[in-house]
Amino acid sequence: MSDHPAGTRSVPQYCYQCVSGPDLMRVEVKDGVALRVSSNYDIKGEHPGGGRVCVKAYGLVQKTYNPNRIRQPMKRTNPRKGRHEDPGFVPISWDEALGLVGAKLREVRAKGLVDDSGFPRVAVSTGGGGTPVQYMGTFPAFMSAWGPMDQGYGAGQGIKCYHSEHLYGELWHRAFIVSPDTPYVNYIINCGNNVEASGGVVGVWREADARVRGAKRVQVEPHLSVTGALSAEWVPIRPKTDAAFLFGLIHHILHGREWRAVCDVPYLKNRSNSPYLVGPNGWFLRDFATGKPLVWDAADGTAKPYDAAIGDAALTGGYVVDGFELGPDDERIEHRRIRAEPAFEKLMAHTKGCTPEWAASECDVPAETIRRIANEYVGHACVGQTIEIEGKTLPFRPVAVMLGKTVNNGWGGYHCCWARTVLAVLVGALEVPGGTLGTTVKLVRPAASRTGSVQPGPDGFMTYQFNATTKEAWSGSPHIRNAFKTLVPLASNSPWSPALGPAHLPWLFAKEQPDHWPRQTAPDVWFCYRTNPAISLWDTLEVANRIAEFPFTVCFAYTDDETNHFADVLLPEATDLESLQLVRIGSTKFFEQFWKHEGWAIRQPAVTPAVDCMDMTDISTRLAQEAGLLEKYNDAINRGAAGMGLRGKAFDYALDPAVPHTREAIWDAVCRAASHDLSDGKDVRDLDDFKREGYMLAPFPQLDWYLYPGMVEQNLRFELPYQERLVRHGRELAHRLHEAGISWWDTQLREYEFMPTYERFPDVWNEHLRAAGGKPEDYPFWALTARSMQYSWGANVGLPMIREMAENVAGHKGVVMNRSAAKRLGIADGDEIVLESIIAATRGRAVLREGIRPDTLVMIGQFDHWKTPYAKDLGVPSLNTIAPMSLALTDATGSGSDIVKVRVRKATAADAKAMRKVSA
Amino acid sequence: MNAPDRQAPGGQALAQAATGAAKAVRWGMTVDVNRCVGCQTCTISCKHTNDTPPGVQWRKVIDVETGTFPDVERLFLVTGCQHCAEPSCVPVCPTGATRQRADGLVTMSYDECIGCGYCAVACPYQARTIVHDERWYYGAAPTTQERAVHHDERIGVAQKCTFCVEKIDLAQATGHRPGEDLEVTPACAASCISQAIVFGDFADPASRVSKLVAERESFQMHAQLGNDPQIRYLYSTPAVPGREPAAADLDEERLADPANPLVGPLQTFWDWRAAMNWCFGGLGSGLALMAAVLSSLGSTGAAIVPTLQAVAGVLMAIGLFFVFLKIGRKLRFWRAARRVQTSWMTRELYVAIAFYVALGVNLVAPSRPGTWIVAIAAGAFLYCQARILQAAKGIPAWRTPHVPALITGTGLLEGVGAVAVVPAVLELSWNAAPVALVGCVLALVNAWLFHRYRRALENEGVGPLARRAIDAMALSLPVVGHAVPAVLFGAALALGMPGLATIAGLAAIAGGALLKFTLVVRAGYQQGFALAKLPQRGSGARAAPARSGFAKRPA
Repeated sequence: MSDHPAGTRSVPQYCYQCVSGPDLMRVEVKDGVALRVSSNYDIKGEHPGGGRVCVKAYGLVQKTYNPNRIRQPMKRTNPRKGRHEDPGFVPISWDEALGLVGAKLREVRAKGLVDDSGFPRVAVSTGGGGTPVQYMGTFPAFMSAWGPMDQGYGAGQGIKCYHSEHLYGELWHRAFIVSPDTPYVNYIINCGNNVEASGGVVGVWREADARVRGAKRVQVEPHLSVTGALSAEWVPIRPKTDAAFLFGLIHHILHGREWRAVCDVPYLKNRSNSPYLVGPNGWFLRDFATGKPLVWDAADGTAKPYDAAIGDAALTGGYVVDGFELGPDDERIEHRRIRAEPAFEKLMAHTKGCTPEWAASECDVPAETIRRIANEYVGHACVGQTIEIEGKTLPFRPVAVMLGKTVNNGWGGYHCCWARTVLAVLVGALEVPGGTLGTTVKLVRPAASRTGSVQPGPDGFMTYQFNATTKEAWSGSPHIRNAFKTLVPLASNSPWSPALGPAHLPWLFAKEQPDHWPRQTAPDVWFCYRTNPAISLWDTLEVANRIAEFPFTVCFAYTDDETNHFADVLLPEATDLESLQLVRIGSTKFFEQFWKHEGWAIRQPAVTPAVDCMDMTDISTRLAQEAGLLEKYNDAINRGAAGMGLRGKAFDYALDPAVPHTREAIWDAVCRAASHDLSDGKDVRDLDDFKREGYMLAPFPQLDWYLYPGMVEQNLRFELPYQERLVRHGRELAHRLHEAGISWWDTQLREYEFMPTYERFPDVWNEHLRAAGGKPEDYPFWALTARSMQYSWGANVGLPMIREMAENVAGHKGVVMNRSAAKRLGIADGDEIVLESIIAATRGRAVLREGIRPDTLVMIGQFDHWKTPYAKDLGVPSLNTIAPMSLALTDATGSGSDIVKVRVRKATAADAKAMRKVSA
Repeated sequence: MNAPDRQAPGGQALAQAATGAAKAVRWGMTVDVNRCVGCQTCTISCKHTNDTPPGVQWRKVIDVETGTFPDVERLFLVTGCQHCAEPSCVPVCPTGATRQRADGLVTMSYDECIGCGYCAVACPYQARTIVHDERWYYGAAPTTQERAVHHDERIGVAQKCTFCVEKIDLAQATGHRPGEDLEVTPACAASCISQAIVFGDFADPASRVSKLVAERESFQMHAQLGNDPQIRYLYSTPAVPGREPAAADLDEERLADPANPLVGPLQTFWDWRAAMNWCFGGLGSGLALMAAVLSSLGSTGAAIVPTLQAVAGVLMAIGLFFVFLKIGRKLRFWRAARRVQTSWMTRELYVAIAFYVALGVNLVAPSRPGTWIVAIAAGAFLYCQARILQAAKGIPAWRTPHVPALITGTGLLEGVGAVAVVPAVLELSWNAAPVALVGCVLALVNAWLFHRYRRALENEGVGPLARRAIDAMALSLPVVGHAVPAVLFGAALALGMPGLATIAGLAAIAGGALLKFTLVVRAGYQQGFALAKLPQRGSGARAAPARSGFAKRPA
């Protein structure tokens, strides 16, 4: 061991390999060679995870010196593309490589930026969680300069993510991602959320503190994950039935207990739409004079607009009132002396049948357990208590409900998100200290301030920019191939929306052209950055076939992989320790990254590049030049495309748009602008300052962790439990699609309900099986996946040191299977087994455990590589190979789930051959 | 199961503190089982800090599952060198390369170590590794960085966690406080993202580790072995008291599952070459001793004894040569002579030297006292071999109190057997009667010793895998090694047929070889890991108790 001995430098860096970052580290460098990584302890006092980095950051040294890296730009010499075609990559110079791409870009511009179908001719796919943007330098400026680009080719991000939460969460409480207020929470119901693997350093740090403080977490999931392991209680629920469990909890609180005694009644009356009167057609009953939804004031027995002075808003009962309902397409239904009920009364009726006994029969969790957990939840909610945060008295509600990925996306996602958020609202625990919080905003604006996005919208709720569904404004011709503006009103239209639309549809539609829809074309040029959709999406063998059809693919390439196998040009970008960028840190970010500071951190070239690579900023500048877009590109940087606008109210560090700038000049300007902005001009730092110090911080108020103060200040209500606005959009969308002759989205349209009705979601998969010619009974197991902290988002499957670490955590070696279930099939630990779904098969070793339901199988991470060096020899299976990609499995938000029904058997010698056949 | 202990550990250090010794220090760690998430950040941070090669993890977190669905618990257990107050690796080391410092740290001197592996089998915590060849993560060639951080001095020698001793020593120069200032804190503790691992001075009541063990309930792993390990595992929280291991946690089937990380793997430090030392060394030393003993009973003429002892010397030399082949740094073998005060391996070496000197002298100038000196040295050698095995505290099947008698008894029986074989082969004149008598008795004694050893295994904490390996010779050894020799020696005595004694001798030798080979190569399962207490969490019956509310509010 040597701790920065003579001759070594300690270079500050950030690790943003996963969305739970960034965390700050130091790299020990000698003679231009990175030797070791350690946490940057300088920031331990301000970083909410004690300044630590997680296991993945330590992989960066090996990532730099991986002998399998693409060592220089390459071009394809074999025009035929296919999995079994040798691309015939040959080395070329950077000039030739960028010249090739530039020529193609100029050709596209000459033809027009969109094709005959109206789709952009250039497409860009990036990896999950928004982390690529933390590494892609000024590439966003190039994209901005270019004009229309199709960013809707999914690679797994968005549609496979916490999708329903992203969309509904942002609508309801600016919660692109939801987190407990872990520093204060005392009771967490966690349906499959694997925070101990996915929550990053801060998540792990805070959850550990909470546990040792005495907080209780109940983990509800089919297998005992890392997070389940650390939870006080594991409840092994039947896969995809979480909505029944959550509905059962709501039932017990509303019907099994005296709800007035356990719920936060003032919160329900004042901060939710519970008292809004609902008319006979399901729409809010509105005041003739103001058009505002009415509330029954029990104090004087009259109906009043929701924002009038109300003595005692009625939550239950039925009241005879005058008013009108506002349906889709401005349909106005007027009523005189009609009986109307508060939304809360509707909620009571809606949940009446969802008894714990009913839920138990659906989800295989005993009714008594459901009751106990509901009792514990309300018992911990501290309704009526307050806490002082930074001098302000706020409600204290230390309970939260969290959802995992497969719970949260695809069919049932809406139901679970709704139920979870309703559970928070019932006890007044949404957006208050201790409760269920949002982390960051990606759809609503302004992007840099979650609390700033709390702005008044219609009917006393926060504003939300739905994609238009009116006859006049609906986007009938999809502007990109996944058609998020056309099909998903809730996806909004921010820079993140393309990735949050139904991003698998372009792959699906390329194979099966839908009716009444623009001809699905392939992009003329496809850029692929830090992603590998041929591994990370569903039905990956089929995705690979589609990628092979793309005429010109440019991959920013690290090693060979399953996607860049089909590329025409490989551009090896400078990796993490070789490149330069300044990013925002602090405030509130994904998962549990709630800071009391905000600021900026740098990633800088610490080592002599290990290969002939180029920094993404330099690549972007060159591409802009090649495409004749330099001025627009520089303008985009000046406007903030590199993360910070270079012109502010009191500063101007803008670049000369007419000339190309070095990466140092660009980031020096960004450093100055960022530090100027952060310090109000008191502490302007240049690039060298940041390189030396690593980061810069300013205080961030803890009060901004919570929306509640802003909601009270503006007298706003959370749009729960009743979804009137959403359903109006849904009905309008139905009109538009039917007017266009489109009926293939009808199943999705059924999901627009005022309050979600439970369905047997497992049957969705059984029906899909039947439709595909299979029998559900032939596929008795549910295959699921689980997060790996060692691998998630890290693009590090080619690193043996990471593999060594991962193998210490059970399940990484193959398929996790219940020991007794395996015994019945004659499968022993370590046996090679074959998992067959209706579409494909995957193979791996059986890892026998007790912590998994007998009807469930789990494959951690995303593997089954056939090209990526090192990874292809691991022999580890992947759910993605066998999970179908299908419209039938797509919900109204455009997402699907990582779940598939499979059958299992021991592998035979003939299987290797058969596997090859399936793969081909 | 040891009871939870709220006392600060490191009795020695406390005693020092109590007697007012100036600035007594006892470095150690607490590991909170309710914090650790098994992320392996400590593992990889250790690898970075200490430049360990592929597959070597001085710090490792294992993924433990107990119970049976639907009553299951899963937890993560930090393992590695425990820097024991009474380290079993230190006294066995024949070179002094492994030492214990005044502050409790158990250190390694790579330049002194010969790679004999004794420390590795003496450690009940699977903390030690020996890497005999260069290893690189990407196969044949090192990466640029691997070349830059390669440690050639660690090839072929024992290595283990040092508690990042260089950092701790650096603290003395810089005035920083290990455990408080992260730059001088062991990498695993400093890097831990859940604050599960805390490092500090158990001798300082104000240190974080001392406070944690005072405030929280903790246990030491394998406390019953008496090593006084300096990692204390915290297992309770204010809301959940933790629990005793249930019978299902100690389920025989699970403890026999090699995939269970709690189960100690078969040690590979001492392989068949090491076994050869016990086989040949035991046989040879037994022969050298019993040749003298039996000669005094009239088996052979006194003049033949030096010849038999010379044969014994050859056999012992073959055994020692195999040991030489096995050690990691062969040219340093002489360093094994440096810790005679504690190491049975060093003692074996000295006894071997004494034996060969005496043997040489006695061959040149045979004498009755000379013969007896050779015999006594051989007996001492045999005893050393027995004690070497027993002092390997990390191997339950070896460390039982019955092992010395078993190994010694086997050697004596083999010696008798050799006395019945060698004269017959060399066509020397010999009298079978005393040989057969002693052989018969010793065969019966050995049968009893083996029976006693086997019967005690489970109570001695020997796991099912090792017991199975031993049970595998439950028939063959008593038959070949005990019954056949007893019967044939008896028959030889009764019928006056020396040929039967020779066959009996061959059987006895075969039985001895079988026993020792099996014991060393097949039954040498390591201690494994165990939790004396468990956090109370999991599904069904394992779940933490229900709570109606928990009012503790964060500050």
